[in-house]
Amino acid sequence: MAETTLQQSAFTEARLRQFWIKAKGWIALAVIAVALVQAIFPIVWLGLNSLKNRLEMFARPPIWFTMTVTNENYVATFVERPFLTYMWNSLAVAACSTFFAMLIGVPAGYALTRFDFGKAKRHIAFWILSTRMMPPIVTVIPIYLLFSYVGLLDTKTSLVIAYTTFNLPFVVWMMKSYLADIPKDLEESAMVDGDTHTGAFWRVILPLAKPGLAATAIFCLIQSWNELLFALILTETTNANTLPIGIAGRVTQYKTEWGEIAAAGFAGCLPIIVFAFIVQKHLVRGLSFGAVKG
Amino acid sequence: MVGVSLRHVYKRFGELAVVDDVNLEVADQEFLVLLGPSGCGKTTTMRIIAGLETASSGDVYIGGRRVNDLLPRHRDVAMVFQSYALYPHMTVFENLGYPLRIRSVPAEERRKQVIDAARRVNIEELLDRLPKQLSGGQRQRVALGRALIRRPNLFLMDEPLSNLDAKLRVQMRGELKHLQHALKTTTIYVTHDQIEAMTLATRVAVMNKGVMQQLATPKEIYDNPANLFVAGFIGSPSMNFLQGGVANGVFESKGARITGLQLRDARDATLGVRPEDLTVCGAQDGQIGGEVFSLELTGDSSLLNLQVEDTHVMARVDKDFTAEIGAKVWLKANPSRCFLFDTRTEARIA
Repeated sequence: MAETTLQQSAFTEARLRQFWIKAKGWIALAVIAVALVQAIFPIVWLGLNSLKNRLEMFARPPIWFTMTVTNENYVATFVERPFLTYMWNSLAVAACSTFFAMLIGVPAGYALTRFDFGKAKRHIAFWILSTRMMPPIVTVIPIYLLFSYVGLLDTKTSLVIAYTTFNLPFVVWMMKSYLADIPKDLEESAMVDGDTHTGAFWRVILPLAKPGLAATAIFCLIQSWNELLFALILTETTNANTLPIGIAGRVTQYKTEWGEIAAAGFAGCLPIIVFAFIVQKHLVRGLSFGAVKG
Repeated sequence: MVGVSLRHVYKRFGELAVVDDVNLEVADQEFLVLLGPSGCGKTTTMRIIAGLETASSGDVYIGGRRVNDLLPRHRDVAMVFQSYALYPHMTVFENLGYPLRIRSVPAEERRKQVIDAARRVNIEELLDRLPKQLSGGQRQRVALGRALIRRPNLFLMDEPLSNLDAKLRVQMRGELKHLQHALKTTTIYVTHDQIEAMTLATRVAVMNKGVMQQLATPKEIYDNPANLFVAGFIGSPSMNFLQGGVANGVFESKGARITGLQLRDARDATLGVRPEDLTVCGAQDGQIGGEVFSLELTGDSSLLNLQVEDTHVMARVDKDFTAEIGAKVWLKANPSRCFLFDTRTEARIA
């Protein structure tokens, strides 16, 4: 009798444990689902709205999926208004500023991890970071004056310079910590094998830093792509106006063009999403595993 | 093939000298082992030779040429790192071919040499793999192959076997010795493992606290240690030390009276005797008496640990020897195998 009770309780315990394992899986899935909806819903809603006419957009109860798909918002944005130019400006400015910030920042981060220049090292690293400590708006007027003296106002160059400057500290610090994780033995080995320091950096360290480079580049690109304040102050015409300015400009004195905002906003998300997909495989960390030890 | 020479080499970090006036002459084709505990400066000495560290002062010569101001790539040395330092994004083939690629060796010639090097270290079938797909022993072979592929003047090896398991270590040790014999390349090898040092080396340089303690053949170091540190560091289990004094060929300390010594009189001295130079005997001949603390069978012999007053004495005894823990046992020392050291200066007293 006692044995049967014991068997039964063991059986119940095993079932409970199994149930709990399953439940944990379901809970995890539910959390992921909520996070996914939260992340994707605004983009989907933006996309759906961009295909609706004005009436459907403000209908109550909301019309989730429109039956009368219209391209009027896209035509108004990209044909009647110079949004393609804005987009091109944004793309050029974001790509160039990301490129330059990486070009200068990655070697700087490397130097801060590998070269010994005494106490100055800590101070320089902190100084680089400190340039990001004040709100960007503080520097708007000096930068505006500076660019006006050198005749760079309303040019893409001015934005590239400004964004490169803002992105640089992030690149330096992110790459500094990433590169510090790559074993020093690897480049030393390359140098003993006959390579120069630059060669070892180029052929051994950089390929291993790909995940870090990809993450940092995405970060810079997003920052530059989304920036509004400096673009608003430093640019005036379609010569250099970027997408955020174009979108903000659809909030006019008399009305807000929600349809155009939705169309431009949705189209504006795409380049970043595409870029993220392209570099996605490099974001997977773990390349440097197997480098050292058994 | 070349010799290496270090003359009054120092490496200081602020006040601390991690390499302190090291003088070393490594002969052509010699296998020299730098041996010492961690932090003794042996790896730093090797890195100075490789050009990965600069000496604070002193001169380094490779093949008679002063190389202090030469970059690592101009020194024509190859180094095997403790971590192996394989390039993780390159296949074994690319890893082996890297030193040749840097020197712009044509692809066909490079391929030939890589296959040749791979054959030497038995990794021909692994050429397409990435380092992360290899076992510790295989990685070790790739690192070795990469070092020998361009036939350098000098091999530098920084604890290359320390990440391998015990069995593989013994096997690789043999292969290393064989390879060095075949290639006849001057080799400097860093280790903290005295067995590795004794088995591999033509000569051993024992280092401690940045200072070279003794430079001699393994046999000389074992049979004739220069000071207390070397005597204690070499040998497993390590040498027994007893504090006391010698008068008229008799050493006396608490719990021990060793006679028949051919040693100078000394008041404040440390007597060293290796576990294998002690034998169990009866009370009437006994020189060192104590209670059995432990008795460990190691296979071919047993290790008898005696508590002698406030110290322990280890003896290698016959494997059939038995004694209860706590039992009184007497040991006799071989007087010709006893070493005397100055307790204060730790120097050997002849």
